Amino acid sequence: MNYLIRGKVALFLKVIVVSLVSAVLLMLTQSAFAQREYVIAGFLALTVLALALTYLTKISIPLKFFIPGILLLAAFVIGPILYTVTMSGFNYKTGNIISKEEAIVQIKVRGIEASPEGVAFDIKLGKSGAEPAILVSDITNLKYFVSTASTRTEVNAGDVTLNEIGVAVQAPNFAALSDSELSGADKSYSIVKFKYDGDYFIALEGLETGVVSRQILEFDATDSFINLVDGSKYQDNGRGNYALANDKAAILEPGWRAPIWFENYSKIVTDPRVREPLVRVFIWTVVFALLTVLTTFALGLLLALALNKPIRGRRIYRSILVLPYAMPSVMSILIWGGMFNTEFGAINTLFGSDIAWFSDPNFARVAVILVNLWLGFPYFYLISSGSLQAIPSELQEAAAIDGANPRQIFRKITLPLLLQILSPLLIASFAFNFNNFNLIYLLTGGGPRSELDGEIAGATDILISYTYKIAFGTGTQDLGLASAISLIIFMLVASISLYSLRKSKVLETFA
Amino acid sequence: MKNWLRQDLWRHVIGIAICLFSLFPLYLVVISSFSSTGSLQLSSFIPTEISFKNYNVLFNDPTIPYLRWVKNSLIIAGSVAVLSVMIGTASAFAFSRLKFKGRKTGIQVLLLVQMFPAILAISAVYVIMERVYKFAPAIGLGTQPGLLLVYLGGAMGVNIWLLKGFVDSIPAELLASPVLAVVALLSFIGTFNEFILARLFLVDMENRTVAVGLQQFIGGQYSQNWGPFAAGSILASIPIVIIFLSLQKYIVSGLTAGSVKG
Repeated sequence: MNYLIRGKVALFLKVIVVSLVSAVLLMLTQSAFAQREYVIAGFLALTVLALALTYLTKISIPLKFFIPGILLLAAFVIGPILYTVTMSGFNYKTGNIISKEEAIVQIKVRGIEASPEGVAFDIKLGKSGAEPAILVSDITNLKYFVSTASTRTEVNAGDVTLNEIGVAVQAPNFAALSDSELSGADKSYSIVKFKYDGDYFIALEGLETGVVSRQILEFDATDSFINLVDGSKYQDNGRGNYALANDKAAILEPGWRAPIWFENYSKIVTDPRVREPLVRVFIWTVVFALLTVLTTFALGLLLALALNKPIRGRRIYRSILVLPYAMPSVMSILIWGGMFNTEFGAINTLFGSDIAWFSDPNFARVAVILVNLWLGFPYFYLISSGSLQAIPSELQEAAAIDGANPRQIFRKITLPLLLQILSPLLIASFAFNFNNFNLIYLLTGGGPRSELDGEIAGATDILISYTYKIAFGTGTQDLGLASAISLIIFMLVASISLYSLRKSKVLETFA
Repeated sequence: MKNWLRQDLWRHVIGIAICLFSLFPLYLVVISSFSSTGSLQLSSFIPTEISFKNYNVLFNDPTIPYLRWVKNSLIIAGSVAVLSVMIGTASAFAFSRLKFKGRKTGIQVLLLVQMFPAILAISAVYVIMERVYKFAPAIGLGTQPGLLLVYLGGAMGVNIWLLKGFVDSIPAELLASPVLAVVALLSFIGTFNEFILARLFLVDMENRTVAVGLQQFIGGQYSQNWGPFAAGSILASIPIVIIFLSLQKYIVSGLTAGSVKG
């Protein structure tokens, strides 16, 4: 009986939780759909369906356990991976960010020309009936009119209310926008052509000024823009821009994100402006990752060997030695950044030097390796000392009996065994440092780089920090190219990791 | 007495030298944090005074909402730790203990996915969350709940994988063992330390995590804000260091077990 009630209560709670979650997700689905984010809306709808099917039916018990995890993975890992693949096939960069429809609207808005006389009026935004309207004040001639997209109505000077600088703020059949409405009005009002005279209309410049203008770029039915003044024709160039047929460089801004298939990939090989910095960065990335593994492993192993005997104070040594590993690395890197400061930094003070650590490519590289050594050696100290204990001592004793000296024992027996045990971890460490973004970004920012040639890759930039600069840097942000490079990095890192996994035989258990 | 010294001298020399290397930066931040000048330039390597000026700035200067940052970090990292272990354990349990069609494929996909460094998809995450912001401003780009979701999703691959290993190796009745607490705390440390997504997501001063807040605070201008930064980084590090040291046993055994089991 008791169990039954519990069962019913549990069922009741379950239904409530599932319905609440579904309700929230359905609301999100609807608003996503309203914003025309169809892919996201579709994913959300599928999520609701999956949740309902899993928890309200008896379709599968394992599903009940892993559906939340799988949905999160799908939304924030697999989704972004697939989206990265998609973006890598697009011309998707500064100037080509928006959709084609949005681009057409913006080109229309920008494709206007002020009247030769440069006439501008003070205006007030408002509504005439339900339609967006402006109340225009021609202060010099003391004339006032209300203008909408289709009509222009003169208003007698006696019927308007003026503010202190003589701009009309109220008129019959005109309701001014309130301050709160005004803040969101810019977008909808800036695309309206308020009627003026003939070809000329009033275009908004800010929220209080209207400029008499005419359209010079007109969109026509053949998916092209016509320049009404000189008759030239801009056509979709298939790469996310309207361009002149005979002059490919003459494009209209803005463009849109358009599929260019494998061009982002082929650019990496064929375009020297992309290839050369990338090759340089790639070489440094490999050198950096190798050096970090070598230095941290060497120092960690040295320590492990030195402390591989119950000497006095070993526990004190040990607890001090893991401190760099226990510290949050973001903090440690920032602290080291201060220590390498040229003028005031502790390192130059300590050694009485005045090295500009982060301005010289080679010193910056040394600094990066050194900081990484500090961050990383405790890890290898810990795992090396663990592994040293796992090596059966009989082997070493037997070698000693056969007359080998300690150095020979280490080189011929201990080290090869250690390397065998640790090789998957060494490879994993290589893969980790291959993408050690935080270290580079926080310590040197990838620099130094030569400012003159506009090159964004710096001397200590590794692939991942360089990619980040391509996507989010201060100049042109090229999300398409960045995505393509990201995927190449993934291939590299995944093959390294798979190789290491295969080596450690974990795959065999379910291969 | 002399004998042990002679025999083990080289061990102590190496031990002491590397301990000095380990402690040097930490020692410097500590004395900087207690110096009254608050500047990067040290008058001497031996402290001559103990001043709480920098700590005072940290807690009382309204332009540095340090406590807010710490609170943000604790909330975000704490929620990620608890939720990701709850959700992750359920999934790991299914993969490890239950028989179902496609289990093998599922595990292989998981293996591949957890290898994908989250940072590689960062531009995609950014663009997607920018779009989410348009229709759901509460969970999109620039919001803490949005960042939390991204962290949860990102942690899922590795956590399910890790927890699956644990669940595989222990009897069912031990599932509530400290192992889960360890994974939660590791996840806490990892999230606390995460910088780049937090940097991209949390633009508002008040919203930042302590890592982003302090990084932006010194923002290359080391000489000006060094003192308060030193104090702030010490305070933020203490809980992490304590958690880490208390978990050392588990972490180390996890590391070496990894070398045998992958």
